[in-house]
Amino acid sequence: MTTTAPRPTGAAAKQSLRTELLEARPVNLDGFVEEWPEKGLVAMESEFDPAPSVRVEDGRIVELDGRSRNDFDFMDTFIANHAIDVASAEASMAIPSAQIARMLIDPGVSRGEVLAVTRGLTPAKVLDVVKLMNVVEIMQGMQKMRARRTPANQGHSTSARDNPIQVAADAAEGALRGFAELETTLGVLRYAPLVAIALQVGAQVGRGGVLTQCALEEATELELGMRGITAYAETISIYGTESVFVDGDDTPWSKSFLAAAYASRGIKMRFTSGTGSEVQMGNAEGKSMLYLEIRCILMAKGAGVQGLQNGSISCIGVPGAVPGGLRAVAAENLVASMVDLECASGNDQSFSHSAMRRTARAMPQMLPGTDFVCSGYSSVPNADNMFAGSNFDTEDFDDWNTIQRDFQVDGGLRHVREDEILAARNKAARALQAVFAHLDLPPITDDEIEAATYANSSNDYPLRDVLADLKGAQSVMDREITGLDLVKGLESAGFHDVAENLLTVLRQRVSGDLLQTSAVLTADFTPLSAINDPNDYAGPGTGYRLQGERWEQLKKLRHVTSSTNPETEVG
Amino acid sequence: MSAQPPPELTAADYPLSINRPDLLRTPSGKPITALTMDAVVSGELSATDLRITPETLQLQAQLADASGRPQLAANFRRAAEMTAIPDAEVLAMYNALRPRASTGAALEEMADRLERTYSAPVCAALVREAAEVYGRRDLLARPVADSDQ
Repeated sequence: MTTTAPRPTGAAAKQSLRTELLEARPVNLDGFVEEWPEKGLVAMESEFDPAPSVRVEDGRIVELDGRSRNDFDFMDTFIANHAIDVASAEASMAIPSAQIARMLIDPGVSRGEVLAVTRGLTPAKVLDVVKLMNVVEIMQGMQKMRARRTPANQGHSTSARDNPIQVAADAAEGALRGFAELETTLGVLRYAPLVAIALQVGAQVGRGGVLTQCALEEATELELGMRGITAYAETISIYGTESVFVDGDDTPWSKSFLAAAYASRGIKMRFTSGTGSEVQMGNAEGKSMLYLEIRCILMAKGAGVQGLQNGSISCIGVPGAVPGGLRAVAAENLVASMVDLECASGNDQSFSHSAMRRTARAMPQMLPGTDFVCSGYSSVPNADNMFAGSNFDTEDFDDWNTIQRDFQVDGGLRHVREDEILAARNKAARALQAVFAHLDLPPITDDEIEAATYANSSNDYPLRDVLADLKGAQSVMDREITGLDLVKGLESAGFHDVAENLLTVLRQRVSGDLLQTSAVLTADFTPLSAINDPNDYAGPGTGYRLQGERWEQLKKLRHVTSSTNPETEVG
Repeated sequence: MSAQPPPELTAADYPLSINRPDLLRTPSGKPITALTMDAVVSGELSATDLRITPETLQLQAQLADASGRPQLAANFRRAAEMTAIPDAEVLAMYNALRPRASTGAALEEMADRLERTYSAPVCAALVREAAEVYGRRDLLARPVADSDQ
């Protein structure tokens, strides 16, 4: 993106040296636009958004935000029928918005007490509440309202060449560095089965219990999940206006059906939405980005999914271009959390040329902590990121770790020593070699393993025989290979620990524990969710604190001078 | 469903895989503790053993209710019903619910099938609600003479 239509300047106009310097700054390559509320190009303050209202008759919501039931579009209908607690709606709506906003930031009011109110609110009322909050108050609210007490992070592991060996090695490194979930997607979709297998194997090498997913169109994504090749799904998109929802070829009912389909196979799932998607898809119906996103959030709530990936996601350039846009993005994460959904909070798409802006954009999520601060962080170089590049990539690992240490904040990652990383990358590539051999897939050579151990990007690997790989990928589907086949392959080749890790992940779907809100698996395979790790923040000294063994881990960086011997480094 | 009424669970029973493995079985009736590496290697386990049962989903629904999440519980109850539906038909039903993919009559047939073939009244109710809303919002497929569908 470059700016268009430069300001008219006379031929003789002379710039100061300082202006020249500022003009050359990366931030001036970013795009900025004026608000245009009539078209929905406005973050969260629009006179075209409806005023809050609710009316209940005979146990049924008959008026929602100024519209009577006869005039409801399908979003209104779905939200009125499924999302809002009818019994408490009128009482909750009668509470002044300023009082609810204060409850959100008051450490003396528990998360549960806030939820008792928010479950009865309409979209316009939720907007009315968060509009009162500045970005520090939004962060304070997030600190308390995040569903899971312990924050986490999610990584992207993809390859510009869809090279499965790269995906396995980078997944292993990502898992070792701390990502609780790893996500992949493809350049060539037909590669999906091999890359999804590589992601699963690599992740279980890096750290047993890391959950993996492969973002594809709905039907294939579900199929890979059903087979146990992936462990969860999140690219189930929803939209804030009826017209855009229909353009996406779905409705709240089709998506609700899909949500139950995932749960019926024991697979963790969250929806995806975000500010800016409706205006980007050309039909915001003249409403603000945040109002429409709040409708998405309540729709997700009504569908009974455990969580939502939001924070503008792939549309971040849109709120990023308007005034107050990143405040609105922070607010949408808060709204997901304050209606008790798991929130995987964006920071997942590159949107700015400015390193300062990229960092600032993540602070409202990183400082208070969210269920997944990034959804995700590129654990491959951005040139290999098939989600079109993330806000952070591998080059930023040490910066991220340093910021965690500077502020004593847990952003889900840690510094890992080079020898451990090399060992994990090497083992992941060898484990995948064994699985490919077991499944009679195109062989992985020792040269490829050597490359994977020391590589940075897809350019550092020998080229694969793509046609042979694609035939192999098809055969994975035709032969109905499942997660159990991967376990067998790993076990028979002597990768007992990796096989056991994967079997334990697969066993989880029989228990359904990962279906509960904000669930992840710890390194000892304990499901950790909003039920057994509820956010109990109640002011200073309470809630999640970065301390003990975890804080000792995060104190380590690549270069830290020893206090006892300044000539040496620790770590 | 088993004849035994399901036990009353509280949030303290979560995670079931650790606190209540005694309650967890595979679709073929094996206890979850039977899902061992030895069983994988000897070929005793098939992919269907790694599926969740309707009983377990009902237990998770109880836990969701007990932790104040009625919508999540309702999703698990729909899911419990859906365990009986083969993968391909689940996908076909999902596709049939997309906008303008089905006539009102086709959705009513789907709801009937959910109720009669799969004993899935909660899912059927969702489909009937969709049919009503789609009718009002012009999101049904228009019936076509002869070669309909």
